[in-house]
Amino acid sequence: MNAIEIKNLSKNFGPKQAVCGLDMTVPMGAIYGFIGENGSGKSTTEKMICGLIPTSGGSIKLYGKDYTEGAVRARVGVLIESPGCFPGLTVWDNMMLQAENLSIPNAEKEVVKVLKTVRMEGAAGNKYQNCSLGMKQRVGIAMALLGNPTLLVLDEPLNGLDADGMRIMREVFTDVVKDGTRSIVVSSHLLGELQKVATHYGIIRHGKMIREMTAAELDASCRTYVALQSGEMNRSKMLLGCKYSRVEEDEAGYLRVYDMTTPEEIVTYLYENGICVTEIKTDKIGLEEYYIDLMKEGK
Amino acid sequence: MTRELKFESPTFLQRLKGMLGVDFYRLFHTPLFYIFLGIAAIIPAMVSAMTMMPDQSGNTMEPLYSNVWQIIAASESLYVINGIADYANMNMVFIFGGIMVSIFIGHDYKSGYVKQLFTTHAKKQDYMMSKTIVCAFAMACMCITYFIGGTVGGLLVGYDTAVNVNSLILAILGKMVMSLGWASLYTFLNVIFRKYFGISIASSFFFGTGILIIGVAAIVENLSIPTPFLNIFLYGSSVNASLASNVGTFLVCIVVSVAWTLIYNFLGTKLLSKSDVY
Repeated sequence: MNAIEIKNLSKNFGPKQAVCGLDMTVPMGAIYGFIGENGSGKSTTEKMICGLIPTSGGSIKLYGKDYTEGAVRARVGVLIESPGCFPGLTVWDNMMLQAENLSIPNAEKEVVKVLKTVRMEGAAGNKYQNCSLGMKQRVGIAMALLGNPTLLVLDEPLNGLDADGMRIMREVFTDVVKDGTRSIVVSSHLLGELQKVATHYGIIRHGKMIREMTAAELDASCRTYVALQSGEMNRSKMLLGCKYSRVEEDEAGYLRVYDMTTPEEIVTYLYENGICVTEIKTDKIGLEEYYIDLMKEGK
Repeated sequence: MTRELKFESPTFLQRLKGMLGVDFYRLFHTPLFYIFLGIAAIIPAMVSAMTMMPDQSGNTMEPLYSNVWQIIAASESLYVINGIADYANMNMVFIFGGIMVSIFIGHDYKSGYVKQLFTTHAKKQDYMMSKTIVCAFAMACMCITYFIGGTVGGLLVGYDTAVNVNSLILAILGKMVMSLGWASLYTFLNVIFRKYFGISIASSFFFGTGILIIGVAAIVENLSIPTPFLNIFLYGSSVNASLASNVGTFLVCIVVSVAWTLIYNFLGTKLLSKSDVY
């Protein structure tokens, strides 16, 4: 049984088709990185999964049940864009209200637990309106964690978090899925961060799922390249550009050769042309570059 | 290790209890509620004690009311308002209440609370019912402060206090009961205009003042429809609860209020189910 199984999902806003024929499968125990450009239909899909907007067609099943069933809905934790909190109330009050809505027994104990999980226990008495963006995101995630959900749907949860906040979130995510029954769908533009935790990926474009893969499949799909530094970078780039089809300089100041080659071959070639290589290594492109390449292919 | 998942559906009462808990907590923790309770007390006191109108000759000004209880209810059931004194009574609570409900529900949407709510097991009908009950409670409370304010104002000025006590009590209870019907109407209007806060308030105001309904009344007046029928349906029988009320009037108020609530909650639920929540 999968946590989420979506078939042929579509959503129209008037004449505009935001999602068209989308299929999506999120296995149990997965951290599913949901990736796409702005306006690709990620948030619309997530809102449909969460029951915030009705579908125009297709089916959504959560743990094999219809997504509108109260029994399943009660076990879905959500953070869409920003948490729905009353600004004039404290973090604690907002959490307690959500616990009340979820009919959680021992609400106080549960709220303390989730606030501790996101390291917000010290700020429980703060008014929500006085919280920083990062704190608000943590409150949102704490709210989503209330009631021991089996599925978390998080839209851009990493926005506004500092390095420590991101580390905490990674810990939270891995902790949530460790028993193998709970799953997380997380969309983010911070692909580097996403890659550190995601076990599965779904890439959406123009409302259609263009690729779904596991982290292992992504790893296998990512091309290797040779990165080097030399005493004469400009001349090296020119020379390598004459021999290889794709040579680029990266942000760290390395020259990257993406063609099928070896470091030995490059060192020899540059040495024959009077250039001494000071550093050379082979590496793989990450999710971010893979995604950018995929988008370029589509265009 | 994989453990078995259990999915338990919360009962209707569990869901409603949770939602009512949240809404009542919000109501009692928002200054808005207390401000409107104050408004509901001050306005009738001021209207009762300070409003002057020209007499029939138009030469001298005289008080609008002569009896303390005229500010509470009209002397008889009237679907069409004949004079300003018939108009300015406890029905004003439904204007204040309409504005309060608009702000209360508008805040649900502005804060994102509704978004958070409907991602859980909450049903649309629970939301409509919870809002209706809480807002009706708020309006019923306003009826009480209105009664206190209006009575004190009238007594201070020294108006006549003669009244049929049973009818007065039944009129007040009738209007309090009608709070439920009005709250359901306002909740429905605010669900329709949920994305347009200003229009929500304006629509509540127009319906609350009865401006639209009075317009309809003027049209249907020529259709020879029996007056009791119009009293019941045109203004939700709020005008039916007058100083000439009896048990029958009160029962009519209950029936109409429940009917309004069922109708508007049904329509609101349908609308919320068919449209984007957020």
